[in-house]
Amino acid sequence: MNKSVYNQEWIYNLHVIKQAKLWMKHGLIQPDQFTAIKNLYKTPLFHPNRAIRILLFIATLIATSGMIGIVMLMFSGVGEMAIAIICMLSGAAAFWIMEHAFINKNHYKSGVTEGIAYMACGLVIVGVAMLGDFDVIIMIQVTCLLVFSIATFRYLDLMLTLAFMVTLSWMIFYHTYEAGGIFRSIIPFVFILIFSASYFLLQQINKHADLNLWSDNLLILEVCCLVLIYAAGNYLVVRELSVSMMDLLIEPGEDIPFAFLFYFFTIAIPVAYLWAGIQRKDTVLLRVGLVTLAFSVFTFKYYYSFGHPEITLILSGIISILVAVLLMRYLKDSRKGFTSKNLVTSAWANLNVEAFIISQTMGGNQPEKVEAKEMGGGGRMGGGGASTSF
Amino acid sequence: MTRSTPRQMAEKKLITEDEFKKIELITSGKIVSVFYELRILLYMGVMLFASGAGILIYQNIGELGHLASILLLAVIMLGCFGYAIKHGHDYKNDQVESPNAYFDYVLLLGCLLFVSIQGYMQVQYDAFTQSMLWNTLITAIFYFYIAYRYDHIGVLSLAITALATFWGLKISSKKWYNGDFFDQADLHITAMVFATLLAGIVFSLDKKSIKKHFTFTYKNFCFLLFFIGALTGIFIDSIYDLLFVSLIYVGCIFAWQQAQQKKSFLFLVYAFTAAYIATTYLLGKYLFNSEPVLWYYYFLISCGGIIYGIIQYKRLFKR
Repeated sequence: MNKSVYNQEWIYNLHVIKQAKLWMKHGLIQPDQFTAIKNLYKTPLFHPNRAIRILLFIATLIATSGMIGIVMLMFSGVGEMAIAIICMLSGAAAFWIMEHAFINKNHYKSGVTEGIAYMACGLVIVGVAMLGDFDVIIMIQVTCLLVFSIATFRYLDLMLTLAFMVTLSWMIFYHTYEAGGIFRSIIPFVFILIFSASYFLLQQINKHADLNLWSDNLLILEVCCLVLIYAAGNYLVVRELSVSMMDLLIEPGEDIPFAFLFYFFTIAIPVAYLWAGIQRKDTVLLRVGLVTLAFSVFTFKYYYSFGHPEITLILSGIISILVAVLLMRYLKDSRKGFTSKNLVTSAWANLNVEAFIISQTMGGNQPEKVEAKEMGGGGRMGGGGASTSF
Repeated sequence: MTRSTPRQMAEKKLITEDEFKKIELITSGKIVSVFYELRILLYMGVMLFASGAGILIYQNIGELGHLASILLLAVIMLGCFGYAIKHGHDYKNDQVESPNAYFDYVLLLGCLLFVSIQGYMQVQYDAFTQSMLWNTLITAIFYFYIAYRYDHIGVLSLAITALATFWGLKISSKKWYNGDFFDQADLHITAMVFATLLAGIVFSLDKKSIKKHFTFTYKNFCFLLFFIGALTGIFIDSIYDLLFVSLIYVGCIFAWQQAQQKKSFLFLVYAFTAAYIATTYLLGKYLFNSEPVLWYYYFLISCGGIIYGIIQYKRLFKR
């Protein structure tokens, strides 16, 4: 299944080369092995380094702006409706140019492709919005959603994926808000429900090996879901949004409706993320869990401050340092599949790798389990990566 | 990259069975490294603690409990440096690995506390402008010593910032006495001179192979300061704009050289941005004044040309 504009094999090869380069840097394989891998997994894709990509991106934005300026000058004074149509047409033309002049010439996220893609999305959306005089919100939302999802699907772009998620949550919020009455007060629960469901759906999709081309996009979606679930349950977010958007008046001594529930969510969601992250060895959950936990601390400090920010800072600093040091010590020899060692940097060089592997697989913590997984690794080849279920 | 790739590589004899076992452990997620997570947590802890200490010092100056807390902070600071002296490796001109995972953070905490305490002493005991100037210099020298002695790039950035501050203060201190501290009309020239001098020193240090891995940090500062200074100059001293524009072009030549020799293209992005703004300014001032339509064509053609050039000569931009 490949509906993106790219040749799946080339992208796969590009990723393999990137990974192998990392392995070489960290002493896992030798330079001549890397060269052999590079020769076998050939890719003609033009995917320059980050600095050049930024340069190309800036240049593309300026150049396309110039182009749009010229087009608009040609058609100045033709009336708003015509301008709207021209916007949409030039958006479509930009997509066409990007695919034929760049992607067909093997550009892959080269900076030029991103630049044109963002411009094209913007043009189409502005064009449609102009048709409705910027008043028909639902039309703008649906267009955004369609444009972003199709563009994400075809061009694998991460920013467009993020834009898609932002549009989606804007839409959900807007329509439950507009529905009024009871719907306004259940907005947080609507968010939690929808994005929890999406998260579990994503987990299922992630196991599907064919979708490897979009694995980074799925990662962005996953992080967005987790963050949105947390934000919808966070006391500070709910309270401040209630006050500013729904004209909720909170007298001293009063609290928002369901306050206890949101207090509970504020604590429970980060803890649940961390717990699940540790259980499933899921770094995404772990990272989001850490960040949301920090925000939860901030939430409580925001409403229950004893007026000494410097003491709070010092205390939270001490706690962070202590936790980090203790965990570093605890995970010095890897435990339960976690390690505080840097597996992919120079740390490998000073590390006795053999001993490390041996402690892992033989004399280590869970020999039987590891053996079972090792065998599963063989079966996985045909099975398309059903990994955690073993 | 799929989960089965390492196994396929092993089957194709690209990697040996041993290597496969190591790689497989990582790619399959059997071992998860939380190296960066813990580092970030530690770093945040140090930052939070140091900024809390900084605020603590400036509040309630003169109270008794306050003095005690400053003494405590000073003890912690001395403890940090004591730890560094005890555990630090010997000085070498090459890169020196830190002795353990905590070393860099202990050193950073010590340095951050140093500047807080020093700032307190200054506010508390003499508020003269001249001493502030020299205090900044002392901080810079101390930081440079620490950075070189214990091989710490983070402290090096602090040192460069402190030195740049010293220069900025020194040049503008005359105006400070006269009461118009905010009239720093020549600060951009200071920045450019400072950047050029520093770049010269770093170039010779690099030649002598003294801490070669510091060079990038220095150059990053130098290029940024130089280009920002020159761009500011174009707009502030517009009588001499041609001079500043040609200086930017000279900077671009250096950036191009760096990109070709060291394969570090970040400076090329700075150079491109600065040169493009400068050129556009010149054209706007001397050529396009009468014909605004030309702008659109200019943007399209110039940037289109840049894109075309990079794609045509892509081997020049490869690492």
